[in-house]
Amino acid sequence: MKPILVLLTGLTLLAADSEIASLEKYTPAERRHWSFQPRKQIVPPAVSGTTNSIDAFIRARLQKDNLQPAPAADRETLIRRVTFDLHGLPPTPQEIQAFVSDASPDAYTKLIDRLLASPRYGEHWGRHWLDVVRFAESDGFEYDTHRHDAWRYRDYVIHSFNIDKPYTQFIHEQLAGDEMNPRNEVMRIASGYNRLGPLRKNAGNQEVASSRNEVLTEMTNIVGASLLGVTLGCARCHDHKFDPIRHTDYYRMQGYFSATFDEDVPLTSEEVRAEWKKKTDTLTAEIKEMQQQMKKLTGSAKEEMGKKVKATEAKLPAPLPSLFSTANDYEKATPIHVLARGEYTNKGAKVGMRPLGVLLPPDTPELPSDTQNPRMKLADWISDPENPLTARVMVNRIWGYHFGRGIVATPNDFGRMGTRPSHPELLDWLANQFVEGGWKVKPIHRMILMSETYRQSSESPIEDTAMTKDAENKLLWKFNRRRLEAEEIRDASLTVAGRLNEKAGGPSIIVPIDPDLTNFLYKPSQWAVTADAKEHNRRSVYLFQKRNLRLPFMEVFDSPDLQISCPRREQSTHAPQALELLNGDFANAMADSFAKRLEQEAKDNNTRIDLAYLLATGRHPATKEKAIAQQFLASGSLREFALAILNLNSFLYVN
Amino acid sequence: MSEHLRWTRNRREFLTDAFCGFGSLAYASMTSQSIAHATTVNPLAPKKPHMPETAKAKSVIFLFMAGGPSHMETFDPKPLLNKLDGQKRPAEFGEAKYQFIKDNALLMGTKRTFKKYGQSGIEVSDLFPHQAEVVDDLCIIRSCQGDMVVHSAAQYQCMTGRIIPGFPSMGSWITYGLGSESESLPAYVVIPDPKGALEAGSPMYLNGFLPAVYQPAMLRPGNKPVLNLDLPSGVSLGDRRKTIDLIRHLNEAGMVGEDPEFAARMSAYDTAFRMQTEAPEVFDISRESAETLEMYGVNKEPTDDYGRRCLLARRMVERGVRFICVVSGGGPGNLQWDAHEDIEENHPRMASQTDQPVAALIKDLKRRGLLDSTLVVWGGEFGRSPEAEGGKGRDHHNLGFTSWMAGGGIKGGTVYGATDDIGLQVTENPVHFRDLHATILYQLGLNQDALSYMHQGRKERLTEVHGNIVKDIIA
Repeated sequence: MKPILVLLTGLTLLAADSEIASLEKYTPAERRHWSFQPRKQIVPPAVSGTTNSIDAFIRARLQKDNLQPAPAADRETLIRRVTFDLHGLPPTPQEIQAFVSDASPDAYTKLIDRLLASPRYGEHWGRHWLDVVRFAESDGFEYDTHRHDAWRYRDYVIHSFNIDKPYTQFIHEQLAGDEMNPRNEVMRIASGYNRLGPLRKNAGNQEVASSRNEVLTEMTNIVGASLLGVTLGCARCHDHKFDPIRHTDYYRMQGYFSATFDEDVPLTSEEVRAEWKKKTDTLTAEIKEMQQQMKKLTGSAKEEMGKKVKATEAKLPAPLPSLFSTANDYEKATPIHVLARGEYTNKGAKVGMRPLGVLLPPDTPELPSDTQNPRMKLADWISDPENPLTARVMVNRIWGYHFGRGIVATPNDFGRMGTRPSHPELLDWLANQFVEGGWKVKPIHRMILMSETYRQSSESPIEDTAMTKDAENKLLWKFNRRRLEAEEIRDASLTVAGRLNEKAGGPSIIVPIDPDLTNFLYKPSQWAVTADAKEHNRRSVYLFQKRNLRLPFMEVFDSPDLQISCPRREQSTHAPQALELLNGDFANAMADSFAKRLEQEAKDNNTRIDLAYLLATGRHPATKEKAIAQQFLASGSLREFALAILNLNSFLYVN
Repeated sequence: MSEHLRWTRNRREFLTDAFCGFGSLAYASMTSQSIAHATTVNPLAPKKPHMPETAKAKSVIFLFMAGGPSHMETFDPKPLLNKLDGQKRPAEFGEAKYQFIKDNALLMGTKRTFKKYGQSGIEVSDLFPHQAEVVDDLCIIRSCQGDMVVHSAAQYQCMTGRIIPGFPSMGSWITYGLGSESESLPAYVVIPDPKGALEAGSPMYLNGFLPAVYQPAMLRPGNKPVLNLDLPSGVSLGDRRKTIDLIRHLNEAGMVGEDPEFAARMSAYDTAFRMQTEAPEVFDISRESAETLEMYGVNKEPTDDYGRRCLLARRMVERGVRFICVVSGGGPGNLQWDAHEDIEENHPRMASQTDQPVAALIKDLKRRGLLDSTLVVWGGEFGRSPEAEGGKGRDHHNLGFTSWMAGGGIKGGTVYGATDDIGLQVTENPVHFRDLHATILYQLGLNQDALSYMHQGRKERLTEVHGNIVKDIIA
């Protein structure tokens, strides 16, 4: 292969030294793996009956298997599909009506433009990225300390999608914002990316080297998973078993982070901070004193003291705002060694910094370990237009969220154990479009959404034949129906019930939960419910993401575990979901509000049924459905009817 | 089909993957040959183990002694430690790293006395007079080891084999491997100590990257042990049945032809309904005989709480629940076995709450003929230091400590492995958590290498690379 451009300036060949790991060789066969090859210049195939490039690729492949695409989805289906797809919310009856009755030829283009221009778009697509980078707002482990300012990173991501920030800029800011401009708040917030992983802290004797190794591991692995689509983490203990990533490659990648440390940049003046510290120290000392006394007390005196402790704790001032960021400290930089079995005590040869060797010309030297602004150099290499992975990985993610399956079905793994692309030429063509278009995401959405492949029905007239040839619908002979994600179910329920609070951004919301559940926390007091009840109806992306306590509602519907990168949500089906939607507090609160809304906005059962279907499923009820509903409402309650609607397939699935 | 694709949703996959519910519905049992032909397969349907010929146990009860019980105060007598009380550790015993105490700490003898019990003559301390009565059923492993000396990471390793969160617990792995035998109960249940949570939090019990169908049901204290199993106030079971029927009828009205995925969803509602009506029975221990209640120490302190929870574990095993974790200890360290301040205050208290219920569970399983098919495991995330902390307490210690196994094809009345004369290092037959996990899987007939799940480029296993099956303790 033609090795990609090497952006290593000021190369210093390290002297041959037994202490320094030698440069590995990669066989031609290893270099030939498809995703390491440069992208090809692709001309879409000529297929009669279409001028759309995406459709041409898809149809040419379908024709090989003698399959045809499904007919176009109807407009009601389409607007519900694309609104959930871009906003994670249902369309309103008015929006549906407007689209269905818009006879202009560009009705659909206008719809897409409207959806992409709305701030709701970033809230939904930002959520996808937050999955990939395992965003959470607490440390995990024993203390699970809250990261009070991590929400700023969440808002940064949402805003970046909304303004269609070029992806290369997005990469640079996250990997190296603090190096690019340490005085710029946005840059500092973005580089919080480097410290999003779980963090173990413990009392007592500190194993500094061990903890540092854990931090460096998190920083390194996430670059492989989120930006490069390689399972870099597999090479931490030994050479990668399947991909040409050597043990030394792993540590050379880690080299870029050797000087990176967490930094909370204060947003308040020194005086304010001094005042805060004074108050906190005084109260903490008082609490300690009381706790000491408490040990000697018994019975009611002990209880009394316990109450006093709690009251004093409540007086502790809220944490001062700061930026959750990183910074280089070259003097404290960790010397990076190849670690046998990944153990920090098992130090092998020393390494500098270098990207993955299999993508570089043979014998490309390392950068020395004291290189300044190292993460910027890594970002440069990752965003190089000739990097074979970066653009492919990102357009594949976009495609995957639109269709329910990537062209490569394993979005975080473009290696040998990952799946091969179903449409390799389409992947390269899309990636080329992405790069040539300045790495902007919205034009890629437009291209995909405008295709007939995207607009086809999720039901095919050739279902039976097609199932025998391509049961997994890899070739897209129909659209993939999908279940709503956990956040979509919650947000759509709030919308349908007329309770959604559309307020955007700001500190995360802690909603009330069953007190028995906070009992599963080591420190139940951490679950400090947001005082203003209106805030509890905010979109799910604004809910506090706590590693040691996810909302059961989210958990049963396959929300990510917040510990490791989640490239693709599961869609499991099991009884606890039914219990949550039938008996859960949230579902029942929504049913109450939904019933009240139906009562207020429609005057009889007939119109209430119509309205319920329109709001929740985006369509009118069929005659049969209406008859069943009428029969139920003749004796049953409107509230139970509302609950049933929020349990329907037509509500929970998108066609 | 590549395991990578397990999360792609399409019809064929629904045959193998997405079927619902805690309960095993009446679907064809799943074997690798039958997948392609079965019309519907429940992922929780009971599955044949990889090695039916060696499978002894069908269920596991893990009596998790959270915080780390001392081996020197329980099952591993150290006369020399008493002689060296108040002295520095002699250099020949080697090094250890502790979380809190420093190199200048002094050895501390134990106040406990040991006696030989049963036909086996195994020594048990006076903290556990009841477990001493069943010692001929226990295999005491005195050579347990872990890699971490802090609670959270050690608890993750004990439960999931890894020192970081995000990996599936053994309960999830085992449920993934064997499915469930129960139609109306969860397959995998955790019964936490109502006094509070543990340092590693709920992630240690969870399914990690395995599908949510393998997540545990976390039982809660009080009258509503399973989340969402109770109807909202003002709604009757009859109302709810009608609502479920309405959901079914409206769904069916909107369906064209057969749809396995939607059929699975509807079955999930049926299972949910069955759980609502049938599961509460298991939580009602009032029909147990007075003799049984007394044996477990129910209705008297300090055994009532742990006694109830052990009894519940037996009732669940009888009904086919696969994996049950009964936690002793929760909340602040001193309400766990985490005896930093005063071992003589902490351990007698913790032992008095659990000893009788634990022994009762063994006796009860045995007399009901369930012990042979139920593997009972007792232990914590580590043991405690031979040195004193602050004069009266003991710090964490991961280099050598004691757990025990009973039933499920394990040789009772045996001692396996040993620590040195002060209880610091393992001197023979080390048993790491991964070896313990490998052995548990083996007794269930599961092959630790075959029980894998493709996740981000790696075939992940409970035992990470490989654990040694401790064959010497197998009957």
